[in-house]
Amino acid sequence: MEIKETAVAGTLESSDIQIMITKADQGISIELESDVAKQFGQQIKKVITDTLKQLDIDAAHVKAVDKGALDCVIKARTIAAAQRATKTVDTPAWEVL
Amino acid sequence: MTVIELNLSLPEVKNQWQNFLQKLGINNFSTAEIQQLDLTLGLYEDEQLVATASAAHNVIKYVGVCQQDSTPGARFNQIISELTSRLYQQGIFHLFVFTKPQYSLSFQHVGFKQLADSSQAVFLETGTPDIQDYLAQLPQVSQSHPQKIAAIVMNANPFTLGHRYLVKRALQQSDYVYVFVVNTDASLFKTSERIQLVKAGLKDLPHALVVNGGDYMVSYATFPAYFLQSGQDVVRYQTTLDAHIFRDLIAPACQISTRFLGSEPLSPTTAIYNQVLQQELPPKVQVQVIERKQSDSQKVISASTVRQALAHNQLATIKDLVPATTYQFMQEHKALLETRIKEGMRINGN
Repeated sequence: MEIKETAVAGTLESSDIQIMITKADQGISIELESDVAKQFGQQIKKVITDTLKQLDIDAAHVKAVDKGALDCVIKARTIAAAQRATKTVDTPAWEVL
Repeated sequence: MTVIELNLSLPEVKNQWQNFLQKLGINNFSTAEIQQLDLTLGLYEDEQLVATASAAHNVIKYVGVCQQDSTPGARFNQIISELTSRLYQQGIFHLFVFTKPQYSLSFQHVGFKQLADSSQAVFLETGTPDIQDYLAQLPQVSQSHPQKIAAIVMNANPFTLGHRYLVKRALQQSDYVYVFVVNTDASLFKTSERIQLVKAGLKDLPHALVVNGGDYMVSYATFPAYFLQSGQDVVRYQTTLDAHIFRDLIAPACQISTRFLGSEPLSPTTAIYNQVLQQELPPKVQVQVIERKQSDSQKVISASTVRQALAHNQLATIKDLVPATTYQFMQEHKALLETRIKEGMRINGN
C-alpha cells in the first residue's frame, strides 16, 4: 500500500508512543526518540517495521517518539497512523491484529 | 485533568493566563505578539491552570508549566502532546519552538531536534519535512574540482537592480552563488512572485542558483522580528540563531564559504542582522559587505522605495531602479498590488 499523505497517531504522554508516517521513495526508515532506546530501540523498530509490512507498506519514513509504550500499543499506534496515511480508514485491517 | 482551549479575547481568561506566565518569568505580552497566536491551550487541575502552550501558525510559543505536586515532565508532555496533535489535525506537520536554553532538553524528550543555540535562546523543530529534507532538495554544485561557492539571502520585495548588482558582484569573486529567497508571505509581493521575479531578473546568470529559503533563513519561524515590530535585543537574539543555522547547517551542506551582504543604510532591523552575521559567521563562513548600488540619479536603490512609488501611483519614477521583468510584472499586476496595499499590507518596514 502507498503512503498518500502525512499522518500521526498517539500522544507524547507516558506509556504511549507517537508515530508520524510520511512518504518515502523506497524502504522503511525509522527515526526513534526514546529514553529506553538503548535497551529497547531495536525491538520498537522491529514492531513498527513488522506492522507496516503486514499492511503491505514497503516505502515509508517513520518518526516515532516513545514514552515507554508496550509492544501492543506500538502496534496499535502504527496501524492507526498507517491507515490514516494510506487513506484506508474506511476499511480497517482486521487481519493485521 | 482537562485540557481546554483558552479564548484570550476574553479579558478574565487573558488575565489569568498572563498572571500564570508572568509568575514563570515570561514578560513579553505585546499586542503584536499576542495577535499572532492562533491557538492557546490550558491544562487545568482542580480548577487551577497548571500548564499552557500556544501556537502562532507552526511556531510554538508561551509555554509555561507549573511543576508543583506533579511528576516532573508529565504536565509538560501532556500540554505539548495536545498542542502538537491539534496542529497535526490541521495538517500542520512541521513545528518550531524558540525557548530558553534550560527548556531545550524537555522538548528534545518529546522528539524535538535542536537546530541552533545561543546563550539566551535555543531553536528546535519537530515533524516533517525537517532540515535534512530541506538540505537534501537543494541543488548541489559538482565538486569534481574545487569551486568557490557563495550565498546571498534576500527578501526581494520586489527584485531590484540593487539585488542584481549584489549577485553580480558576488559572482565576480565566486564560481557559484546561491540566492536564497525568503519564504514568508508577510510581504507585499508573495513568495511565489518574489522567486519568479528573482529568477527572471537573473536568467542570464546560470551560476546564480535561485532557491527558496524555506523555513530556515529569515523566515517567520527563525526571525519573526523581521516581520513584527520588535525591540533591538529581540532582533539580536533571533538573528544570532538565524546566523548559527546558516553557519552550522546550511553552509556546510552546500559548501558555502562566503556570505555576501548588501550594506544597509535604511532598515535598522537589517542593519543589526548584518552586524550579527559579521560577528557570528566567521571564521567558518566569510562575510563580505557590498556597498549598495546607487541609481544614476544618486538614489540608493531600495525595494522599499519601489513599494512607496507603487503606493503613490508613481511607478514611472522607479523604472530605472528595477529590471524590465520586475517593471513589467508591476505594470501587469498594478491593480492587484494596489488592492493588497489598500487591504493593509505593510509597505514600509522590510
